[in-house]
Amino acid sequence: MLKAIWDNIKGLYSLVVGLSITGRYLLSPVETIHYPRQVVDDEILASFRGPIQLTLGKKDPAQTRCVSCQMCVKACPGHCLKVTKGEAKAPVAWTYDFSYCCLCGACVESCPTGALEFSHKVYLVTVSREELIFDLLADLKKRAATRAEAPTPTGSAATGSASIAASAGSAAPAPPAAGTAAAAAQPSPKPAQA
Amino acid sequence: MLGGPINFVNPLSVLESPGTLTGDFYALNFEKKAKSGRVILNLGPQHPSTHGVLRVLCELDGEYVDRAEPVLGYLHRMHEKMGEVKTPWQYIPNLGRVDYLHPLAWNWAYVGAAERLAGLEVPERAEYLRVIGCELNRIASHLLWWGAFVMDLGGFTPILYAFEEREKINDILQIITGSRLTMANFRFGGVCADGDERFFRLIREFIPYLRERLKMYQGLVTDNIILRRRLEGIGPIDVDMCQRYGATGPILRAAGLPRDTRRDYPYSVYPKLEFPIPTGPINDCFGRYLVRLREIETSLAIVEQAINQIPDGPVIMDKAPKATWKLPAGESYWAVEGARGQIAVHLLSDGGKNPYRLKLRAPGFSNLSLFAEAAQGTLLADAIAILGSLDLVIPEVDR
Amino acid sequence: MDLSLAIFVQIIVAALLVIGLMVGNAVVMVYMERKVAGFIQRRPGPYEVGPWGTLQALCDSMKLLAKQLYRPGNVDIILYYLAPILAFFPVLLLFLPIPFGPYLTALNVNEGIILILAFAGLGVLSNLLAGWSSNNKYSLLGAARAVSQTVAYEIPMILALLAVVFQCGSMDLKNVTEQQGAWPWEWNVLTQPLAFFIYVVSLVGETNRAPFDLPEAESELAAGFHTEYSGMGFALFFLSEYANMLLVSLVAAVFFLGGYKGPVADGFWWIFIKAYAIMFFLVWIRWTFPRVRFDQLLNINWKWLLPLSLLNLWLTAIIVKLLI
Repeated sequence: MLKAIWDNIKGLYSLVVGLSITGRYLLSPVETIHYPRQVVDDEILASFRGPIQLTLGKKDPAQTRCVSCQMCVKACPGHCLKVTKGEAKAPVAWTYDFSYCCLCGACVESCPTGALEFSHKVYLVTVSREELIFDLLADLKKRAATRAEAPTPTGSAATGSASIAASAGSAAPAPPAAGTAAAAAQPSPKPAQA
Repeated sequence: MLGGPINFVNPLSVLESPGTLTGDFYALNFEKKAKSGRVILNLGPQHPSTHGVLRVLCELDGEYVDRAEPVLGYLHRMHEKMGEVKTPWQYIPNLGRVDYLHPLAWNWAYVGAAERLAGLEVPERAEYLRVIGCELNRIASHLLWWGAFVMDLGGFTPILYAFEEREKINDILQIITGSRLTMANFRFGGVCADGDERFFRLIREFIPYLRERLKMYQGLVTDNIILRRRLEGIGPIDVDMCQRYGATGPILRAAGLPRDTRRDYPYSVYPKLEFPIPTGPINDCFGRYLVRLREIETSLAIVEQAINQIPDGPVIMDKAPKATWKLPAGESYWAVEGARGQIAVHLLSDGGKNPYRLKLRAPGFSNLSLFAEAAQGTLLADAIAILGSLDLVIPEVDR
Repeated sequence: MDLSLAIFVQIIVAALLVIGLMVGNAVVMVYMERKVAGFIQRRPGPYEVGPWGTLQALCDSMKLLAKQLYRPGNVDIILYYLAPILAFFPVLLLFLPIPFGPYLTALNVNEGIILILAFAGLGVLSNLLAGWSSNNKYSLLGAARAVSQTVAYEIPMILALLAVVFQCGSMDLKNVTEQQGAWPWEWNVLTQPLAFFIYVVSLVGETNRAPFDLPEAESELAAGFHTEYSGMGFALFFLSEYANMLLVSLVAAVFFLGGYKGPVADGFWWIFIKAYAIMFFLVWIRWTFPRVRFDQLLNINWKWLLPLSLLNLWLTAIIVKLLI
């Protein structure tokens, strides 16, 4: 009987402990990021694998490195890529249906010329399925034009996903490529940003 | 026997005697054995505490559960069949969808089976990265279970605290996997990306942070008298019952048997790491709760050792298989320890483009099967606590 | 004749004011509950509608008003529609004897607490009817739980209040208030700490709030007795739940915390501050603790609260007898 009473008093104390914990969090600042008003750091987004895009060309940024070899099309488990070969090697149309894409990276890793990479578009919103079918060649030209206007693009993450993507070629976490990823093991010389 | 096979009847027999019974095929089967004066309650498929689309048929005597029978298949997505129509490489992203809470263990089970079949050598750095990823993922899985379990018991707040930590883990794992939920960074012969300096820095910051938070969990939930009274002595599951149903993972360890695939059938670099296998002093819901919380600490210890021991080197073997790689003919089996128990993949290949047959051994399926026996004679609220303590992920159960 | 007419007019005006108070209280409480829950869970809570989301509750009520009154098949139609109305209207009566200020009482009754407790018992009838008429197993279980819980928790509640009644020698709420002083050390909570504790615990059980929210235990019974209600039917249950909370908090403020009396200036603001402080506490514990099991809930009542409240009553009686 006495033990039961003592147990209950201890139990009541445990309830007070719980209340003090939630009370402390009640007064502490919120942890969430309020999306339209705040956005997460670019540092976190830099490693996010968004929809794929064509890498900017080496000489002419608007010229794709793709040689229409169809390796990515064969590798894709979701059958979401369509590359139309032109008269020369370069493709004349590059369609990418993001609604079927599972972001596995098979296309990126199987590309022999490194013409594909992941973008970091987190804030991608559409209202219809048709808008999810991207024309990557047009996208490439747009990004090349953006980069030509501003050589060092620094846009806010909310609106400038394209500008982040444009600088992705030189960004630290390169798109995962088999065999070469070990190079990233060395600590980057830049000081870490909080 | 309650856990035994269902006696299938002709579904058309309903039509022969219309009006006497209502409901679907499973409900009719279940109702035939019901005693008079009992209520048959359909817990699910849409019910707040079945976490997804599990359906449990209960026969209630007042608030006591006389018998309960889980009905599966509402989330069956043919993952095993999909493994037979895709090339091995193309199937990897699917594994993340099988169990979205511990995707890396599923990745590992499949990739490990294929590597064993083809005899691929994995670089050591890749093995360490796999261990770090898998253990961090296990922590994330256990944290989410912790929140959801307390939510089953009526406490709403802990799940949001658990998500704070989970988001931090996701930030870390995103660096090496590129995604936050259905991760798939395993490749045949390694992993797809190496961790950079920020990856290791975030882990070093995260370990003491989580240890601090675990103390808060202790005060908020574990020591709470209401929770203890809800869990202590509820739903005892002993070793014998686990073995009869094939239950593994924290349930078996809480029953007192220190079985852990990482220790019993050592794979990867686990033999080089020191970690205890937490076993429960008691085999009730509270024991399972404690075992999972201790496993979080164990995983933290493993991650801590792994980031100190990790060698330099490549993260994927030379000439790693590409997306159109064919498995050599043969058969292999590979088991890893997932958050819910032993995950295993049985791979059979005839040397063709796709595997001939793929079998996924989901621990949740075996764990769920003992629910019918464990829930017998308990109160409805206790049955829900037992269901929560089994840590079910329905996509994994149904595959 | 004139006097009775005056009283009649007074009651009508008071009833209208009380309806306004109930609706206003629900709006305030919904906002407070969601904001407090949000901050406890380290998120901002409602934020988009109006400044800091203050209009969120109004929007929700508009939505509930506009929703279709869906009625499932095979319900008992009369009882099904009667239940929410029955939940709402007795609560109106309960506010009449509460002294909000020195001269701000809708109806001066010299046994006000009896009126309140008598009509408070009517609330559970609506839960029972709702659960029974819905033709749903979850609802039925919820209704059964609601009845046994409310009936059980009324007893220690009454006994706790009775100890204060012994001490003050009056059942008139205004009288009880007047016997307490303005400052916290002159309140009954100091002379009757055990009664206050018992009252607060049984208050949680009486209003079906977490961790004693068994009749609508979400993870077990979906939504308990109001599973099948939508639109205005659900809104009325919701309204009466919050009104009940306000009422028991007001009674606690009157009996234990000095009612409308307070430092600086007496007035209705003090009783509302005290009542809302208790309600804030209710919200706080709801977002902290897990739910108890049903047999434990009744055990707490019959094995602990009831003997404790009897002991408290007995001690109070002896002390009152010895001192006076």
